[in-house]
Amino acid sequence: MGQTFIRRVYLGGFLILIFTLFYYQVLKGSFFLERAQNNYVRVISLRSIRGTILDRNSTPLAVDKASFNIAVIPYQIEKQKNLLFSKLSKDLNYKTDVLTRNYRRRFSNLFSPVDIALDIDKATALKLKNKFNDAVVINPYPQRFYAYPYEFSHLIGYVKEAASFYENLKKYGYSPLERVGVAGMEKYYDAYLKGEDGGDLIEVNSKGKIVGFLGERKPIRGKDVQLTIDSRMQHIAYELLKDRRGVLILMNSNTGEILALVSSPSFDANNFIKGKNLDQFFSDPDRPLINRAIQSTYPLGSIFKPIVGLAALEEQKINPSTTFVCKGALNVGNAVFHCLGNHGDQNIYTALAHSCNIYFYNIARILGAEKLSDYARMFGLESLSGIDLPYEKKGSVPMPGKKPRHWFLGDTLNLAIGQGYIECSPLEALIAINVFASGGYLVRPYLLEKVDNAKIAATQKTHLGLSQKNMDIIMTGLNGVVDADYGTARLLRDLDLKIAGKTGSAQAKRGAHGWFLGYFPQDSPKYTICVFLENAGSSTEAVKVTHEFLGRLKDEKIL
Amino acid sequence: MRDRLGLLEFRLTPAKIIILCCIFLNVISLTTLYSALHQGGEFTQHPIFNKQIIWIIICWLSLIVFSLINYRLYFNFAYILYAINLILLVAVELFGKTVMGAQRWLSISGFSFQPSEVSKIVILIVLAKSFSSGRGKGFLRQFVAPFCLTMINAALIFKQPDLGTALIIIFIFFIMGLSSGVKKRFFVFAIIAGIIAAPFAWAILKEYQKKRLVVFLNPNVDPLGAGYTIIQSKIAIGSGRVFGKGFLSGTQNQFNFLPERHTDFIFTVIAEEWGFIGSVFLLIIYWLILAKMLDIIRTLKDPCAQLLSLGVCALLFLHIFINMGMTLGVLPVVGVPLLFISYGGTHLLTTFILLGIFFNIYRQQLYK
Repeated sequence: MGQTFIRRVYLGGFLILIFTLFYYQVLKGSFFLERAQNNYVRVISLRSIRGTILDRNSTPLAVDKASFNIAVIPYQIEKQKNLLFSKLSKDLNYKTDVLTRNYRRRFSNLFSPVDIALDIDKATALKLKNKFNDAVVINPYPQRFYAYPYEFSHLIGYVKEAASFYENLKKYGYSPLERVGVAGMEKYYDAYLKGEDGGDLIEVNSKGKIVGFLGERKPIRGKDVQLTIDSRMQHIAYELLKDRRGVLILMNSNTGEILALVSSPSFDANNFIKGKNLDQFFSDPDRPLINRAIQSTYPLGSIFKPIVGLAALEEQKINPSTTFVCKGALNVGNAVFHCLGNHGDQNIYTALAHSCNIYFYNIARILGAEKLSDYARMFGLESLSGIDLPYEKKGSVPMPGKKPRHWFLGDTLNLAIGQGYIECSPLEALIAINVFASGGYLVRPYLLEKVDNAKIAATQKTHLGLSQKNMDIIMTGLNGVVDADYGTARLLRDLDLKIAGKTGSAQAKRGAHGWFLGYFPQDSPKYTICVFLENAGSSTEAVKVTHEFLGRLKDEKIL
Repeated sequence: MRDRLGLLEFRLTPAKIIILCCIFLNVISLTTLYSALHQGGEFTQHPIFNKQIIWIIICWLSLIVFSLINYRLYFNFAYILYAINLILLVAVELFGKTVMGAQRWLSISGFSFQPSEVSKIVILIVLAKSFSSGRGKGFLRQFVAPFCLTMINAALIFKQPDLGTALIIIFIFFIMGLSSGVKKRFFVFAIIAGIIAAPFAWAILKEYQKKRLVVFLNPNVDPLGAGYTIIQSKIAIGSGRVFGKGFLSGTQNQFNFLPERHTDFIFTVIAEEWGFIGSVFLLIIYWLILAKMLDIIRTLKDPCAQLLSLGVCALLFLHIFINMGMTLGVLPVVGVPLLFISYGGTHLLTTFILLGIFFNIYRQQLYK
């Protein structure tokens, strides 16, 4: 292929372009000029409906409701704009500059309706339409409504108009008015929930009257998302927690389905939809916007002890008949480490039931900090649980000898009772205790049951390869926590649910955190529960909340 | 000292014509941008306009720098450059910043750039080297090697997904290959292989790209998205008629009916405001650049350099043709900017660097 040929190819290309230009600009120029002068082509957008979020019994939790905006068409009102706005502002009880600001911000072109007053109730909207006739347009649009905001806001999250981050979303097929989930399930499952906006492409004459129809794209409704949550359980859980700071989680031990998950204090997601009174949530020192179940980490306290016990059994450092004597305190070097009681001879069973610190100090000394740290990590205390919610935060387990400073024997002893540098989220703690309940699996928790009535949920679990015999020993110990007369959670015995578990009081700056982690029935666990109360002083309150929660579930026969 | 480019003599050498044309295109670019950034009679977007001025200055400096670097250096390091280019593309895949659904940007200590732009330069160098060194050395050396080099590169860019650049690279392969003296029937095989591979490529395409191709065949499928843009773009171009509506008077432009009118669809603003006369004038300037480049290329003695220059010339042509073709609705909307005119620094920089390399080839030729 010679260069002359290339030159000809390029020239050919240019001639094609010139010929096309000639056709459009010279031959059909007048035709297009007429179209441009009146701009005949107009897009009327049709908003799509977002999928509904339901609980496991199909109770709607988040739905789209019709709302109304007042809009004007710029080129129709050009000359009387200020007059119209001042009249409208009286009727709507809005400030004129709010209308002007909305107008300026939402203006796209002279011929498309611009929303100037948002979320007007239907009666007012109709009244205005009668009064102002063609000067205003009623623009109906779907608005998100959350039925039980305080119970569900942390799980469901909320949506926002895409406009503010539109540039990033454009190529994913979002339009600026479309709503995008920015938190919770609304964010995580946005791809299912979001529909697709449509519109009519119409041809109008110079007076704005429709004279032709060029095409349409039907809006597509989003898919419905059904949660594993039982809203009856969720209501009871929230009722019990609402005036405290804490977390309650109930999960199916074998599948990982979350049945209830409450973080308190909570917030009203509807305020984010309306954009009203948000300061109260941002400025609240109790930080209600944080989902404490997955976004905060706390010291574990004694709930770490079952893992310490299992580690010692697995490493063959102790057996069920190994005993240590508790005299209420243990001297290590110059320091004294205390226990809450003077428990005497303790084996693994009694030590768990009493939550005896001395016993665990002793096995930690034999076992070494590295092993403790390895097992904590194996039980998922430093990994994300993988729950289908955005912004999950993982816990931290110290690396002896590396962080955060030189490691002392005292640090090892502290670690044995879940204090010091070990922290995890309540959900991670639940997943760790669930290893015993599920027969040795790290189970992934999840919230999504069905999408548009098709089952999506699938259990994912990893076997940790621990010996069942050793786990049985710990589980017998955990039975004692409830069943033994000296057990720290003996209050739960009268529920007759055959509960096993472990209490924990974790030292913290503003008062000890209270924990109860457990599962039931003892022989073949079906449910795993975590109750966590921030700065509650001790575990007593956590056990009481557990008692009340499970008691009410039993009374109402929803277990 | 002898004036190698002949810049000091008052005589219009081909090189001088090319440079004058480029300056002229810069002026057209800024004028059109000034108009495109108007809305409702107000000039609102100073930052974009000022940024473009800075880009133009940077581009001219790079052109000077690259015209001083001996082009043979690139050929010595061709395969190393190619390897670095692949690493960058893979890095984009792994760590890239996702902008608007496409993973094209790589950010290194706050400075982000598009490796696919680097690819355009590197692939020209590599193909020039491998086609000219493979000449007369059998099927493997003269065809399969450059073919594989191109396809690996194009596939990585295609995956980002940047359909426009991937296609341009493949076209360049054909243009350079066919002018390098490799047997034509090999390329026929390549085309057949391409047709067989097409369904697989279709499967990798993102949903929005499939849509674009379908919309290209029938814009009415999507009257609100790409279909709307094409309709409005045609109205804008056509309504300019022979003499145009005049500077700042394009109604399609001023009333915001044209999406992306300061980037990929900037030609519509020129066509609306300056009419058929203005559009043809723009094409003539482009043609002068291409024709003068081809004149120079004809005189080059080094086959490798000649092939590289042909590639540069082909790249310029493809950008002009694909962009104008897509605004006129005769080619799919693949997101290729209009050479020299569209807002955006990266494509401008690539163009000027390539011209810098071309001028170096020309200088060395004169020196001999």
